[in-house]
Amino acid sequence: MRKARLSQEGVVFALAVLLFAAFAVTLNNFLTTGNLIALVRSVSILGILGLGMGLVVIGRGIDLAMVATMVVSLSWVLSMTQGGMPLGTALLFGLALALAIGLMNGILIAYADIPAIFTTLAMGLVAYGAGRAFLFQIDVQNTPAGIAWFDFLGQGSVFGLPMPIVAFAVLAALMALLLLRTRFGRFVYAAGDNALAARITGIPLRPLIVAQYVVSALIAFLAGLVMAAAVSGMSTRLYNSTMIYDVLLVVVLGGISLSGGRGGVRNILVGTLLVGVLLNGMTILDITYTTQNLIKSLILLLAIMVDSFINPRDEQTSQQAQGDI
Amino acid sequence: MTTTVTARPPQGAAATAATPLVRLSKVSKDFRGVLAISDIDLDIRAGEIHAILGENGAGKSTLMKVLAGVYQPTSGEMLLDGKPVTLTSPSDALERGIAMVFQETNLVPSMSVAQNIYLGDEKMFNRLRGLNIQAQRYLLSLNFYVDPTVQVSALGAGKKQMVEIARAVHHHARLIIFDEPTATLTPEEKFHFFNLARRLKEEGIAIIFISHALEEALQLSDRITVMRDSKLVVSDRTENFDRERIVQAMVGRSLTGELYAGGRRKARPMGKKILSVENLSMGNAVRNTSFSVFSGQVTGMFGLVGAGRTETMKIVAGVLKRDYFHGGTVRFEGRPVRYRTPRPAVRDGIVYVTEDRKIEGFFETMTIASNIQLGHLAKGINPFTPVTMIEARRLAKEWTGRLGVKSIDADARVIELSGGNQQKVVLAKALIQRPKLVILDEPTRGVDVGTIVEIHNFINELADGGMAVVVISSYLPEIMALSDRILVARQGRIVEEMDVAEATESRIMYAAVH
Repeated sequence: MRKARLSQEGVVFALAVLLFAAFAVTLNNFLTTGNLIALVRSVSILGILGLGMGLVVIGRGIDLAMVATMVVSLSWVLSMTQGGMPLGTALLFGLALALAIGLMNGILIAYADIPAIFTTLAMGLVAYGAGRAFLFQIDVQNTPAGIAWFDFLGQGSVFGLPMPIVAFAVLAALMALLLLRTRFGRFVYAAGDNALAARITGIPLRPLIVAQYVVSALIAFLAGLVMAAAVSGMSTRLYNSTMIYDVLLVVVLGGISLSGGRGGVRNILVGTLLVGVLLNGMTILDITYTTQNLIKSLILLLAIMVDSFINPRDEQTSQQAQGDI
Repeated sequence: MTTTVTARPPQGAAATAATPLVRLSKVSKDFRGVLAISDIDLDIRAGEIHAILGENGAGKSTLMKVLAGVYQPTSGEMLLDGKPVTLTSPSDALERGIAMVFQETNLVPSMSVAQNIYLGDEKMFNRLRGLNIQAQRYLLSLNFYVDPTVQVSALGAGKKQMVEIARAVHHHARLIIFDEPTATLTPEEKFHFFNLARRLKEEGIAIIFISHALEEALQLSDRITVMRDSKLVVSDRTENFDRERIVQAMVGRSLTGELYAGGRRKARPMGKKILSVENLSMGNAVRNTSFSVFSGQVTGMFGLVGAGRTETMKIVAGVLKRDYFHGGTVRFEGRPVRYRTPRPAVRDGIVYVTEDRKIEGFFETMTIASNIQLGHLAKGINPFTPVTMIEARRLAKEWTGRLGVKSIDADARVIELSGGNQQKVVLAKALIQRPKLVILDEPTRGVDVGTIVEIHNFINELADGGMAVVVISSYLPEIMALSDRILVARQGRIVEEMDVAEATESRIMYAAVH
């Protein structure tokens, strides 16, 4: 199994490289600096969201509320700044909102034993609905002009690398540290592998689950911040797009198993790369949005099938109440 | 469908008297090389009640499942009405008149009693009312007072059993096998069950039941068969048995002697009283039990399945919760404690090592080192403590050395190890938490013989080092070999406590059965 896991990562990486080469040879506009930077920039948001989703999936959960959290918290922030509130204060409110959503997800999943997939699905709807009803009225919020650090976050670059990419890289490094080098990270793996054993070993299982969803909500907020800065606004229509499935695609395709306990940041990087190349190539090929969705969904289905084939979920352990999907 | 109860008469009444209904000759069954039953010769006659007795793991259930077509024997022959048969499945067995009533019933909870009885032979167009009337007549003919329109999920254990029996009789069962039929019944329901069994017997139906209750067997059965270590020890008419003879047959051992007997050392003296449990209760599993555990000693806990040993100790370790009202008290080092999760128990120094390591023992995707390290990490508080692989390797090296875990390297994954080595990893993960009281639930289950000795030696070392050790085991020789003090559990409570010097296998077994 250890070998199978490694090769899954390798296969995905090879696929990404192959696809990249194929596009580079066949498409005229693909191998230009401008396009490559656009490619990485467009997927860095997906990648950041994938980091949060990856953490939760390793802990054998799923967070379908991430896009809603991102959209609602940032739209509210921008809406408040347009009303005259300083950006910093508004961001604090937005952050608190995002964390509150994550906290509620976590509490419902950990303490009320509701399956994560339903909790977060419903919580996403609630957050989005409440946001549209009470927090902001229009679909698209624009960013305030003339705030230097905010503009830099969106448009600036470090050593020629656009800031969204830098943000993705920094967050990926932090996530890797969190997962591999802290007690919290090791506990997430343990709980994802075998929740009953984790509990008996003395790991605080329920607080741990809550913490996972709070972290994923925090990451959703940060992704939103980078996104708002990069495209100078936030569109609530994103919530109704296929974005959350793209995030899942990044995670599962990269090789983080839905059965929990397996995978890491490396898998997310590989998954992001492949999805990025794929999306960019399809756009240049001028494949329609609908067809793109069909292709993506087929790949997602295939990836999930391959995952359950490589990492079969044991009947007995899959009956654990915690965060089962 | 007729409403008669009469079982399908076997061909020729003369044949019945001579040939038994079912005869097993030299039947064996092994699971991947491990013998579950070996060379069983057994006759079941029509119209007899036959009790099967034996310790946990003696092979009773396997034997019954062979009879009911759940397992196919590896070797040997089964004769039905004197003719050899091969049962391919439980439904095949039912077709031939052999029905088995399992401990967990096979009824569909959301369907009515009538629907359950006729499940599998409904007509194309079913009139519910007709079905209910038919079922009502049928049940009355059996003297079963069950409302056929009631949903099965609403019935008590006793009534459910009646429905199962009715279904079996409806399918012309000539042999009905019960796996611990009285375990879940109240005394009154038991009484009904006995009458029922006698009535079925008068109809010429043979009944086999597995039981842990000697009194029941002596009271109800015509013949008793005792099994031990996958073999049939004795099968004789009930009037030739008394309690003593049954207990003797259940515990008398030969083969295992050399592994466990070897000159028993003196019992270690009691250290300080580290755990005292008073009137502990949890539902029906643990009933008002009281006992104490002392440091520097191995306390053995013996009991048959369903005696509540695991549940009792899981409550102590915070894995399960006792009743909120009248749940009793647990004192650890003199201080009353009520753990709602294992975490505070681990922090206080109580560690429970599971009997089922795959389900709640180890982390299968992780390496030996990571597994052991998690035990160490779980004892700490700060979630952001840096974790290093160097530390994990050092801990793994120290503990695999102490316990003698054999593997190619510490980076091997636990799932790739043998059962004995997995058990050692789970032990290391627990002991790295430096418990004051360690509870080992079936510490040598699924472990090879060589490793059993190592684990026993290690348990002795722990007790010599001053730790309080509780060993839960269903295997009497293990209890005798390890314990300084022995607690015997029966039906959710500790019923007897004895020093190892005064303990004998039959005395322990005597206390464990009714």
